[in-house]
Amino acid sequence: MNSDVRTRVSALIRMNTTLLLREPGPVVSRLVMPLVLIVVLEPLYRAALSGQGEQAGTTQIVAGVLVMFSLLALSIVGSAILTERAWRTWDRLRVTPAASWELLTGKAVPALGVLLVQQVLVLGVSSVLFDLRIADLGLLAVVVAVWVFTLLCMGMALGALARSHSELAVFYDIGGLALTVLGGALVPLSMMPEWARALAPISPGYWAMSGYRAALAGDVGGVFAELAVLLLIAAVAGTVACWRITRGWGRSRLL
Amino acid sequence: MHREGLTACGLVKRYGEVVALDGFELVARPGEIVGLVGANGSGKTTFVEVVSGLVRPDRGSVSIFGVDMLRNPRAGRRLFGLAPQEVALYFSATVRENLTLFGGLLGLRNGQLRRAIDEAAEQMRLAEVMDRPAGVLSGGQRRRAQVASALLGSPSLLLLDEPTAGADPPTRDALLTSVLAMAAAGTAIVYTTHYLPELTELDATLAVVKSGRVIARGDQDTLLAGLPGEVRVQLDGPMPDRLHDLGTVVGGELRVSCADPARMLAALLADGIVPVSVDVRRASLDDLYNSLGTVVPA
Repeated sequence: MNSDVRTRVSALIRMNTTLLLREPGPVVSRLVMPLVLIVVLEPLYRAALSGQGEQAGTTQIVAGVLVMFSLLALSIVGSAILTERAWRTWDRLRVTPAASWELLTGKAVPALGVLLVQQVLVLGVSSVLFDLRIADLGLLAVVVAVWVFTLLCMGMALGALARSHSELAVFYDIGGLALTVLGGALVPLSMMPEWARALAPISPGYWAMSGYRAALAGDVGGVFAELAVLLLIAAVAGTVACWRITRGWGRSRLL
Repeated sequence: MHREGLTACGLVKRYGEVVALDGFELVARPGEIVGLVGANGSGKTTFVEVVSGLVRPDRGSVSIFGVDMLRNPRAGRRLFGLAPQEVALYFSATVRENLTLFGGLLGLRNGQLRRAIDEAAEQMRLAEVMDRPAGVLSGGQRRRAQVASALLGSPSLLLLDEPTAGADPPTRDALLTSVLAMAAAGTAIVYTTHYLPELTELDATLAVVKSGRVIARGDQDTLLAGLPGEVRVQLDGPMPDRLHDLGTVVGGELRVSCADPARMLAALLADGIVPVSVDVRRASLDDLYNSLGTVVPA
């Protein structure tokens, strides 16, 4: 990477970090809320799933909260893209010497940082407070990385396609909740109706939940399909986002 | 240095049925200020978007100081500064942070970056608001901050799309002074505006745009030379009938449109007309507009 590229990418990362920190509310709530939920609900889940094994309840609530709140964290990424459109700054960036990948990297890195901190915090607190057992830390790190990357791509795609902040909010509130529930993040799939179990694989949350469970249990063979599906979702969403973002929006208006 | 700073040849851009550019041609030389004028929707902003690489033309070519913008856009982007029509700043970031970003994207760093920011801020008289978020600035201050971001890195070509729209007199003054200084330093400047007196103040050459093409191009004197001026004569008493044939009478004032207003006035005086007030005016850019069938909205 030559020095001009480094200068440009670091300028972009600095600005996007500044923007995130200037309005820290969404970031803070997405970091604090999962911790609160885990602390409150872990005993309930442990009791409810005690028949399925000692760690079943803890694994369910930790993986479930990770998926649920990381889906909600999509809004940080999506809003960042939508705000660039509303402020018309994206077109200013497009006429600078920075390449598209530099612009996207500058946008993605701070959001990636927030998502990673969220995942690490939840896993760390769960290990300390609830004795969450992580059989294979390396495997779990891979699952976290792939899931966070998938979320980033999905968030960028939503931010690129939404026409307003309220439209984006609908995607997150209804879409995110549906995907979380359908993915088995709130209630184990085994307790859900048959039709819901049949539909579950359409939810990215389903694959993330499954990947987290396998990684926590140290089941290397159990994460391949999950990671492949998540990477496929990331590829599709990322391609849509890159195509739309690098093409710009011209003079088309947001709602 | 290239003789031709900006060269646009045969640009065509369609949006469905709408033809935004229809064989647009323009050359702006280093040190030249080109006033791009035309009614709303005539293609001025589309032209700026094509030159800056935001919009790809269906046909034609654009080069900036010899760099082909369609084949090598990233190299070309180092050469120009753009202040788009609508303010585009990071509103929750300070003016300094905005300028730091745009300077950094040009590859400026450390002392070089600080100097460029200080110079741009001084030119645009932004010293007092540098550490305020762009979102709390007045409209004029935002405009100045936006133009300051376009001045960073001393671009060879400056694209200013209606930079003074809605601006207060200090903003306009700062901007025009800067534009003149940049042109004196050899920057080619394309300046779109609806405020025609600004172009007189800048001594800009003109490119009149209509229906996606340049329909008149040249310096102001040349373009105005063939246009009639006007003599306005107020008499102390009734207007003689013979004068009614010369022009129009509005509220006791005779208005005569003619190629040589001074000679017309001399003829009136020789005819024994004794005016109480006389106003002789040369053709203006407004007259040029009207003569070309291009009307600028008020």
